Amino acid sequence: MNIITRNSAKFLSIAAVAALALSGCSAAAAPELDYKACAVSDEGSWNDKSFNQSVMDGLMKAKDELKVQTADAESNSAEDFAPNLQQMVDANCDITFAVGFNLVADVNAAAKANPDVKFVTIDGWSEGNANLKPVNYAMEQSSYLAGYAAAAYSTSKVIGTYGGMQIDAVTAFMDGYYYGAQAWAADNNTTIKVLGWDPAKKTGDFMGDFTPNSAVSKTIAATQIQGGADVILPVAGDQFGAVSEALDEAGSAGVMIGVDKNIALTSPEYADKMLTSIEKRMTTAVFDIIKGIAVDKVDFSGDAYLGTLANGGTALSDSDKITGDLKTKLDELSAGIQDGSISVRP
Amino acid sequence: MTEKSKFQTVVREIMATSVTRVVLSILLGFFFGGIFMVLFNENVVATYSTLFTTPGDTFVAAFNTIVDGYGALLRGAIFNPEGRDLVAMFRPITETLRMAAPLVMAGLGLALGFRVGLFNIGGTGQIVMGLAGATWVATRMELPPVIHMIVAVIAAVVCAAAWGAFAGFLKARTGAHEVIVTIMMNYIALDFFTWMLRTKGLLLAATGGGTPKSDPPAATSMLPTLFGDMYKIHIGIFIAIAATFAYWLLMERSAIGYRFRMVGHNANAARAAGIKVESTFVWAMAVSAAFIGLAAANQALSNPGGITTSLNADIGFDAITVALLGGNSAKRIAAAGLLFGAFKAGSPAMQVVGVSPEILGVVQALIVLFIAAPPLIKAMLRLPEPAAEQKVVA
Repeated sequence: MNIITRNSAKFLSIAAVAALALSGCSAAAAPELDYKACAVSDEGSWNDKSFNQSVMDGLMKAKDELKVQTADAESNSAEDFAPNLQQMVDANCDITFAVGFNLVADVNAAAKANPDVKFVTIDGWSEGNANLKPVNYAMEQSSYLAGYAAAAYSTSKVIGTYGGMQIDAVTAFMDGYYYGAQAWAADNNTTIKVLGWDPAKKTGDFMGDFTPNSAVSKTIAATQIQGGADVILPVAGDQFGAVSEALDEAGSAGVMIGVDKNIALTSPEYADKMLTSIEKRMTTAVFDIIKGIAVDKVDFSGDAYLGTLANGGTALSDSDKITGDLKTKLDELSAGIQDGSISVRP
Repeated sequence: MTEKSKFQTVVREIMATSVTRVVLSILLGFFFGGIFMVLFNENVVATYSTLFTTPGDTFVAAFNTIVDGYGALLRGAIFNPEGRDLVAMFRPITETLRMAAPLVMAGLGLALGFRVGLFNIGGTGQIVMGLAGATWVATRMELPPVIHMIVAVIAAVVCAAAWGAFAGFLKARTGAHEVIVTIMMNYIALDFFTWMLRTKGLLLAATGGGTPKSDPPAATSMLPTLFGDMYKIHIGIFIAIAATFAYWLLMERSAIGYRFRMVGHNANAARAAGIKVESTFVWAMAVSAAFIGLAAANQALSNPGGITTSLNADIGFDAITVALLGGNSAKRIAAAGLLFGAFKAGSPAMQVVGVSPEILGVVQALIVLFIAAPPLIKAMLRLPEPAAEQKVVA
């Protein structure tokens, strides 16, 4: 099979040279580095313009810039996680990224069964496996800023949020959003209503899965819009089509807040409806981890990586809807969160 | 000829497809699947710009893509010569058997329904109700080992059979068409199970929040694995073999099976011969769904994580293709289940070489299309039977 792959790579590069003037579709060159980085998706596809895609972008960046070899597999259901991870081990991957909290049990099992293979779990944790590196994000920090901005932007002073599943990786966004909004209310001696999440009682609106733009998603969004919300934060990958439709059908001039990537850039069709996006910069983390081991020859470590405002692992996207005093205030808050003077979960 | 009996004739003819035609359909399916693979492969697409100057590149890239793709399927589903050790080399075939087991069980159930003239599209709903029963026993009851497992399997079978029998009852009592009824009951079952999984005190995991997921099944209720931790394959494959044998006994060697077949062949004649057609419908749906319940038990009791609705893994629909391919013979159903089990086991390996696994769905659909198309087209165009024509000529 290797020979065949090499053959197709050879023919590909010949074709690429021949087609140089024509288009950019054959830009890929033969991988040169003897290092194979692989990834297994959570339920949903790599081109979800959000969670899974951030990781895939990191992998592709490593392929293009570092010339590492790559392999990937999408999971259609929870039943696919274990076979997909096994496939990466069998394909002799040097490192495998398991994307998402839902894979945590399977990736720990795979790490335990293959102690000489390195794994990374995004949003998961290691159950004592030295060859498994957890990558986590303090999403409550940037979400606090988003909540503050949402409360300031809202005219109805009702804002909404909902999640895919009630797991820590999702509710971290919703916690920060809630407390950020309350902070704005306290600063302005008024009240703000947050629909869809109550961090004290730990109850809220959840879809039950991460199906992109599902009917359930649209129903939840429509209900929150009916309840007066004019800023909506869906924390479930790509739900921006569903929220956008719900806003249009209700004749609302409301906006939404993106997650994981800068949605105004990845889905420009919704750019005018985006207040901002809460970026979870997994692309950078994935690329840095691969580069560290494959190029800089740093030993793999099972220590957890935590993305924060301080190390730039998470941040709010720039937006033309957040300017002037509000932007200055958000920068102040960000500095306060970084130096510890502001607690995002009071 | 009424619309309904025509529909049944089509199903019966599809089931009676000869082995030769099935094999040809499979080969054709792979052939056209290869064409799709080539059309959308990025390596091949990259050569399109030079298609007319150096057509050789395109053909070589296309050939390599097909060899890579189907090679990966074989490596992922049968034997992996590139494995790091013997355990890894033989893993693919164990995965194929593991994936095939529930498809065979459910395929038998659906084929049974088809032979009675019942087009049961409710496999998903019946699996989900079976999952609900098995989950309840596996997570909410404490029983000694082995007994716990057996009780959980029985619970899955009984719940699924009851759900199927209800659809049969609606057909027998009100004449409601089983296709519509069973499809609608799929959604009821899915929402019912989701509600149970969401509700504290019913099936929601003790530590669970808003996510519909149960506790992991108790260790005493799990289907034991055959090779310890080495492979995932468990005794489900033996249950599938036993189910295949039971199906053969029931349909070919028992009085009940004879009655089932008779109703399927000609309900009016069966009624004239004194068979209670209505109650046969109810029983046939119950037995059909009971086999599907085995697939549910297989899914629920082999997953060490919590149980969710997605564990039904679309087996209810995939098994329809298994049943149509398997036709009237238990052995052929088992073979069809193995083929589609191999597809499931091989799809991750295909993804790794850059072939989208949806190709396998296309191949699967094409195989069924080639088998089902002749009777369907004949029925749609109202063409006369070739045999009848010959008689006139003679």
